[in-house]
Amino acid sequence: MNQDTLVACFAENLGIESAMVVDSLAYQSISEWDSVGHMALVAGLEEAFDIMLDTDDIIDMSSVAKAKEILGKHDITF
Amino acid sequence: MLLKGKRILVTGASRGIGEATARLFAEQGASLMLSARSENVEALAEELNGASEAGIYALAGDISDEDYAKRLVMASRKQLGGLDGLVNNAGILEQGLVGMIQLESVRRMLEVNLVAMINLTQFSLRLMKEGSPAIVNVTSIAGTHGIEGISAYCASKAAVIGFTKSLAKEVAPSGVRVNAVAPGFIDTQMARQLDDEWFQERVESVRMKRIGTPLDVANLSLYLCSDLSTYVTGQTIGVDGGMQV
Repeated sequence: MNQDTLVACFAENLGIESAMVVDSLAYQSISEWDSVGHMALVAGLEEAFDIMLDTDDIIDMSSVAKAKEILGKHDITF
Repeated sequence: MLLKGKRILVTGASRGIGEATARLFAEQGASLMLSARSENVEALAEELNGASEAGIYALAGDISDEDYAKRLVMASRKQLGGLDGLVNNAGILEQGLVGMIQLESVRRMLEVNLVAMINLTQFSLRLMKEGSPAIVNVTSIAGTHGIEGISAYCASKAAVIGFTKSLAKEVAPSGVRVNAVAPGFIDTQMARQLDDEWFQERVESVRMKRIGTPLDVANLSLYLCSDLSTYVTGQTIGVDGGMQV
């Protein structure tokens, strides 16, 4: 469930195919995940999981795997 | 109704300029999330809710507490579904000549008047997605021109203007507008706490020969949060009865 939500957030907010959303996908490794896309992604994740992320975590969110780790701090498990 | 359908967060809303802003915005049809340290803000929300078709909510807390700021924005998302406006009004003033003011007091003013404003803005921007969202930062004539006897306060308010201009440039491509209002001498509890002699000098320096009202300031914030000002950003506008022309 959380995995599906996460994938949907990445796909919708970055405008990419769901199949591209894998743990190794990294920030700035594709043109869609630039700084503008990153802020849209953050807003999407916050809304989907009903959380507010700390600025340090937003800066630190360097990959899909890292995003899962950060969401884990909010008791969201994968 | 100039704000019908708009969802706006107002800080420092329990009294003075913030309270006048909340009352005016509610009259103009906005849905509101009100913030203040005093729990009076919850009673105000209840009162305004009775007279408004839109939802008026409140959450009391200290805006310089990062965790509270986060909860406030989460409550805005939950209760309002997002934000179309933010009025960063919360602020404190502690008087003191530069040689007499304690650093703790300086730090406190910077923390509330500047750091807390930036922190809340960071969170709030993530809820501003559609239309022509507006951020209004309440600075002061003290920040635009300086006033003797409150130099640390002046410094904190001047910093708000720098933040306003920079942020306006940064978020303009996203359609978010950022402006500052600079009240002159306004009849609030904050002004009344100053020395009598100092207070009288300030009143006499107003060219329109009257002290301003909180509503005078709220009216400008109304314009800046409404769609009447969709091409206005990065500005600092005085509301001072001609104190500085």
